[in-house]
Amino acid sequence: MRSGPVRRALRGGLGRRRVQTAVIGLVLLVTTGAAVLALAVVADSNAPFDAAFAAQRGADITAKINPARASPARLAATRRLPQIVAAAGPFAEVTTSLQLTIATAGPAGAARLLIPSVTLVGRAAPDGPVDDIALQSGHWPTGPGQIVLSGNQAGSSLPVQPSPGMPVTAVGAAGKPELTVVGIASSVTGTADGWVTPAEITRLTTPQEPASTQMLYRFRAAGDDAAVRADAAAVAGALPPGAVTAIQSYLPVRLQETLGIAPIAPFVAAFGIIGLAMSVLIVAIVVSGSVVSGYRRIGVLKSIGFTPGQVSAAYAGQALIPAAAGCTAGVLAGNLLSGALLGRAASVYQVGTLGVPSWVNLSVPAAMLVVVGIAALVPAIRAGRLSAIRAIAAGRAPRSGGGYGAHRLLGRLPVVRPVTIGLAASFARPARTAVTLVATLLGAAAVTFAVGLGASLTRVESGLSLAGTEQVFVSLPTAPGSGVSGVRMGAGGAQSTRVALLPKGVRPAAPAAAEHAVAAALRAQPGTAHFVAETDQQVTVAGLAQQIPVTAFRGDAGWTGYQMISGRWYTGPGQVVVPTHFLTVTGKSLGNPVSFTFGGRQITARIVGEVFDGDNSGLAMITAWQTLASADPRLAQTSQYDVELRSGTSAPAYVQALSTALGPAYGVSLNGAGRGLPLVLGLIDALTLLLGAVAGLGVLNTVVLQTRERVHDLGVFKAIGMTPRQTVVMIVCWVAGIGLVAGLIAVPLGIALQRYLVPVMASAAGTALPASILDVYGGWQLGGLALAGMAIAVAGSLAPAVWAASARTETALRAE
Amino acid sequence: MQTLIELSDVTKRYDDDGHPAVEHVSFAVAPGEAVAIMGPSGSGKSTLLNLIAGLDRPTSGTVTVAGERVDKLSETGGARFRRQQVGMIFQFFNLLDDLTVADNVMLPAQLAGESRGKALGRAGELLAALHISQHADAYPARLSGGERQRVAIARALVNRPALLLADEPTGALDSATGSEIGELLLDLNTSGQSLVMVTHNPDLASRYAGRVILLVDGRISSDVTTGPQVRR
Repeated sequence: MRSGPVRRALRGGLGRRRVQTAVIGLVLLVTTGAAVLALAVVADSNAPFDAAFAAQRGADITAKINPARASPARLAATRRLPQIVAAAGPFAEVTTSLQLTIATAGPAGAARLLIPSVTLVGRAAPDGPVDDIALQSGHWPTGPGQIVLSGNQAGSSLPVQPSPGMPVTAVGAAGKPELTVVGIASSVTGTADGWVTPAEITRLTTPQEPASTQMLYRFRAAGDDAAVRADAAAVAGALPPGAVTAIQSYLPVRLQETLGIAPIAPFVAAFGIIGLAMSVLIVAIVVSGSVVSGYRRIGVLKSIGFTPGQVSAAYAGQALIPAAAGCTAGVLAGNLLSGALLGRAASVYQVGTLGVPSWVNLSVPAAMLVVVGIAALVPAIRAGRLSAIRAIAAGRAPRSGGGYGAHRLLGRLPVVRPVTIGLAASFARPARTAVTLVATLLGAAAVTFAVGLGASLTRVESGLSLAGTEQVFVSLPTAPGSGVSGVRMGAGGAQSTRVALLPKGVRPAAPAAAEHAVAAALRAQPGTAHFVAETDQQVTVAGLAQQIPVTAFRGDAGWTGYQMISGRWYTGPGQVVVPTHFLTVTGKSLGNPVSFTFGGRQITARIVGEVFDGDNSGLAMITAWQTLASADPRLAQTSQYDVELRSGTSAPAYVQALSTALGPAYGVSLNGAGRGLPLVLGLIDALTLLLGAVAGLGVLNTVVLQTRERVHDLGVFKAIGMTPRQTVVMIVCWVAGIGLVAGLIAVPLGIALQRYLVPVMASAAGTALPASILDVYGGWQLGGLALAGMAIAVAGSLAPAVWAASARTETALRAE
Repeated sequence: MQTLIELSDVTKRYDDDGHPAVEHVSFAVAPGEAVAIMGPSGSGKSTLLNLIAGLDRPTSGTVTVAGERVDKLSETGGARFRRQQVGMIFQFFNLLDDLTVADNVMLPAQLAGESRGKALGRAGELLAALHISQHADAYPARLSGGERQRVAIARALVNRPALLLADEPTGALDSATGSEIGELLLDLNTSGQSLVMVTHNPDLASRYAGRVILLVDGRISSDVTTGPQVRR
């Protein structure tokens, strides 16, 4: 086959159909971009952690050993176990309380921050065969009085970002030794909150908090929980009974880190698939439309010697060239969008740039081109098979199509004639109408889905943060050594502790006095609707390697707005409600007892409800104050008060008034919810807008095609007195009816997609959902969404309609 | 003299550099006149008709029809002008294939805001007068050329225009059918309908028009009044 004539015919076709060429290019750009983004997110959801884990030779398990039960020789012997490929340790480890002195902008100049439970490990160097700690700034401790703190990595319990030079007081140790932060480092699995020299550990231990030993292991097989458990059991079995006091697997940390990005993947993938389907439909319309409207040209090409193959190539090429350009641009766009999303995760782990995998960059455009190529080839082959005489004859014949009955029927309606003529025109070419309808339907369904998804996510955020009910928090000043841990933050997430800052020189009030003062101040504020005291503690649950937070309320907390997925809210002591992830990890279900250790005593409570709560990524418990108080009388002190405001109360003004009333020793803050949501909502909006634009481009393409086919009729209409406005109305009505029908079908389709995908996203985040998260569509909203298809159709048809209305009548009348 | 159409020094150029399609043309047409515009291909006949119909605007000069400056009308104004003042007949009929005969005839009235009932009544009158009422529910593709042109004439008359413009009205018809249409146009003119037709058929011009304007290279070569037409 000679390519010269084909190339010239192809160039001519592209030149004559610039709008359709641009539409194909834009559609493929958008859908390829969305597909690249979706696949990159899916592929990279584990990548930041995995890359860092491999680079830093992360520990598959971190074992806490009682040194009194296992000698260094026995520990060394575990290195020779067949399951183990590398081990590090023994390192001395201590849990203590630190007080950080933080420079502040206020008049005090500095504030003290108490961190009640910090794990410090003595290591001579950051590197090693396991858990090669990444030093982010400063240097490793070389002598006494130096400490490296964790740069707020996975598993760290530090609530603030430390910096080198920061003074630290080990308030939990005898003599409260002073330390200086000399570096910031990160362990990929969070094996410690800070590191000192091995000798320094001795200075930090007390009889109440003796040093333990940390051993780090990497195994031959640690791909899943069962393998890690088996390996950990082998280690424990090689040591005397009771030697291993705790084991932390890397898998929960990995899961916790992937939860942030994994839920995004399903909806991005859904948008990508919808976009791909729309691309195929639109390309099919464009190519088959150019074949139908180009019969005469096909006939002429064949009569001057084009072979069927050359004709097919010329017509398929008209779609494939702009499609290839669109795919290329789409890959670039997808990489840019993905970069913004994945870049943050990459920087957290210091794994360099986290880009789109090359297989995504190659396979997505290739798959797009194959699918689009098939869509283009079918009508192109049909063009190639047409006989020259038939093609020329068909090209000269009037191309009004069918729909006569529709014209007759609609013409009798008491509606202005341009509207009925326009509506009837969509019946002239049923196949094209059907394809346009499906493309518009997909766009409208994407809009319905996106609206529901956005509303669901907003409710998720609200349900997790309780921002609608717990609008204000009041944190009490903490006294060093009081044993009070941090307090729960509003937005549920991995980092779940917050502590009150005490300005320098301000002495905390006695706990009981402080609580009394807060309660009195809250009662005195006219905007207070409800308040409740809560304490947030760490407990050790049987079956879980790490401690988990438990929130205990004193008094009625039913108003706090926690949503129940199943079961009920606790009604008294000895009952707990827990998130889905807790049930999954512990293998428990509603009605089961759960045993946990608090204050050195074991408590057994019954699980009465599955609560929608993201605290500690769903590894937490909520209960009544008395459940914990029975085990530890030190629980007398409240961590914070949660406050609901009366309707119409200005929250900032309330915070200001309460702060003034309580004075600087108390932390009064607004519930700062929704910090992570704008990014996701923005992504949803962007993808919806893009798919809506694709659907609009599909409509535009159909209208342009139809306008060209009916240019002569348009000339006649104008010659007999149709005004430009009437012409616009008529052309818009060509597709408005299609859009209305598409919108009506799209609403249930979009809702079904939302009801399917939101739970999938929740599942990826490790939680089930309350029904209220899914039931988000209001009646008026559904009415508006039903018009989305028509809105897309009108938006897509307006430009060609205005163009057609302003076209020269006498030129149109002469057009074939 | 009362005038229905007045062209004053009208020039129309499609390209800045090219030869004008119509150059310095001036003439007037009185109500009730039947004027044939003749000339060879490319002489500017159809351009002149388009300028009178407000489908195109002159490069210079003025076009006044029924007291309206057609050359100054907007697109919308032009469309309203055509509805009220002008009926157009084309060589290839220009009927809308997906509308029935009755719907084709009614359409200009409906576009002008007439109710379907009234438009249908008027269309029925016209179709009966033109002897094609039996085809009211048929589609144009099933009619003969002469029948189609009758439908086009009915459509052109539905709004009772002051002026009927015909562009080669018999050009696509055999001679017998062409004569029928010519007679029909003559009848209309006899009953007072003003008519301007473009034709390159001297026989049609001489038999059915009382005045013949000859265009050559965009200029009026001759403007001859032949007197009232005589029914043969």
